[in-house]
Amino acid sequence: MLLKELPRARVLMEHKHNHSRHHSYNGKNFIILPIIFCVLINLICYLMLAPSLSAFVSVGSLFFSDAQKDFSKDFNNIFVPVSEPSNTDSQAQQSAETIKISEITFPKYNEQFGELIIKDCQIDAKLFFGDGDIPLNNGVGIYGGSAIPGYGKTILVAGHNNTYFNGLKYAQVGQQIKIRTSYGNFVYEITDIQIKESTDTSAYDLSADSENLILYTCYPFDELGLTSKRCFVYAKPVSNLEIDKNN
Amino acid sequence: MSKHRHKLKLKPVLYSILAFMLAFVLFAFSICMVLKTTIFSKAFITDCMSSSGYFSMLKNELTDEMKSLGNASGLDEEFAESFVDSLNLQKSVKDYISNFYSNESTMVETTSFKQQLIYAIDEYVKEKNISSESVSEENVDYLVNNAEERYINIISIPFFSFMGNYIFKAQFPLTIITILLGVFALAIIAVIFFTNSFKHRRFRYISYGFGGAFLSVSLIPLIVQISGKISQININTRSLYNLFVSYMNGLFMNFWIYSVFYLFIAFITFLLYRKYYKRAISD
Repeated sequence: MLLKELPRARVLMEHKHNHSRHHSYNGKNFIILPIIFCVLINLICYLMLAPSLSAFVSVGSLFFSDAQKDFSKDFNNIFVPVSEPSNTDSQAQQSAETIKISEITFPKYNEQFGELIIKDCQIDAKLFFGDGDIPLNNGVGIYGGSAIPGYGKTILVAGHNNTYFNGLKYAQVGQQIKIRTSYGNFVYEITDIQIKESTDTSAYDLSADSENLILYTCYPFDELGLTSKRCFVYAKPVSNLEIDKNN
Repeated sequence: MSKHRHKLKLKPVLYSILAFMLAFVLFAFSICMVLKTTIFSKAFITDCMSSSGYFSMLKNELTDEMKSLGNASGLDEEFAESFVDSLNLQKSVKDYISNFYSNESTMVETTSFKQQLIYAIDEYVKEKNISSESVSEENVDYLVNNAEERYINIISIPFFSFMGNYIFKAQFPLTIITILLGVFALAIIAVIFFTNSFKHRRFRYISYGFGGAFLSVSLIPLIVQISGKISQININTRSLYNLFVSYMNGLFMNFWIYSVFYLFIAFITFLLYRKYYKRAISD
């Protein structure tokens, strides 16, 4: 029995000796070793996932933005009316017919940047950039793939036939359309009115090199439900105001 | 004597490796457990829906969608407000979630919604005395189909249909892996416990293992939550955004629970180590 206990006693003695030599050693280990374990575990995980990690990170970054999302249904209004017939003072200094592109504040999506008025049709609506729910619930909106007034391209404006563009049922060739923006006031004259299918892409040419305004809405007017036809109102510019794209 | 000294020096290294293995297995075990109780759990997402006010926000969003559609279709705003039924909406969402976790089709059930909408339009026409000339079946069908599309978009959760199949298939393997990891962790603890003749050493290495697991498990939620990325997710609707944030916070809370548990065990075993260490010294 005593012989059996002998090695254990020797180990205990050596153990005591070790402890007296490295008394603070064990305490540090309770901090250092878990940290080393944590680093090693994460290193192993990284090495295991490394081949696909960069792909995941780059795809994942598409799902995140730099700022918190704004869910407000309120729209921003950058429209400040300018007096007629001249434009802003700075524009007047340059030329009565052109506006420097550098002086224009381009509207963001869902932002009100003007007004669209057709007196003969009793239309006076806020003009937005974009044709989603916010613009069409509050006024009329320019399709994002088309141009803003004065840019020398096609301006495609949408509105609901039961609300802001209900007055288009009174539209006639020769009537004037006025668009007021913060950078100038534009006048167009209706040249044609056509009823086409909503899927008919020949109704507009977004690649046109000359300024032309197209207003469209669902047709027939005052019908309940959604309709498959569209009423297109075509207009040409009357005012000579245009954006100088080189300055 | 030298052979015995060599053995004495090797022993702490071997037990440190065992402690590291324990930390790694506990880390993997907690990831599996968190996955099982969050992403793989139907109850977790439904709890998140309740706690984030998902259903009431969803109802508001559907009402807004119906108002917009009403604007385009000649319907009053009151129509949308009276038509949207939160109970039906909740049922559709719950069915959608149930189908996801039972590997059935993740299509949104719209039959009831369409029937209600057609009935509500008929009632609206009667109430407003709208002439039959202004109501064509074709236009109403177009409106109902568009509303159905919006209803599906509102209820659908992005990537759900894509993930559904994988989640269902991974459920059983994940359970097996979790059990194996749990058994393996217990086996390592048993080896450390029963092969050490000194009690304080047993608790020392177990404490190292749990301490390592605590730091490793804490690191994931710490990095993600400090980065603040969760609140910057690009989601278009408030209901889905709040659900996502609540879901991710819940997921990381699970990680914190495991990390606090590991810290607690590490601390208890440390105290036990101190107790038996002092006893060993005094003996």
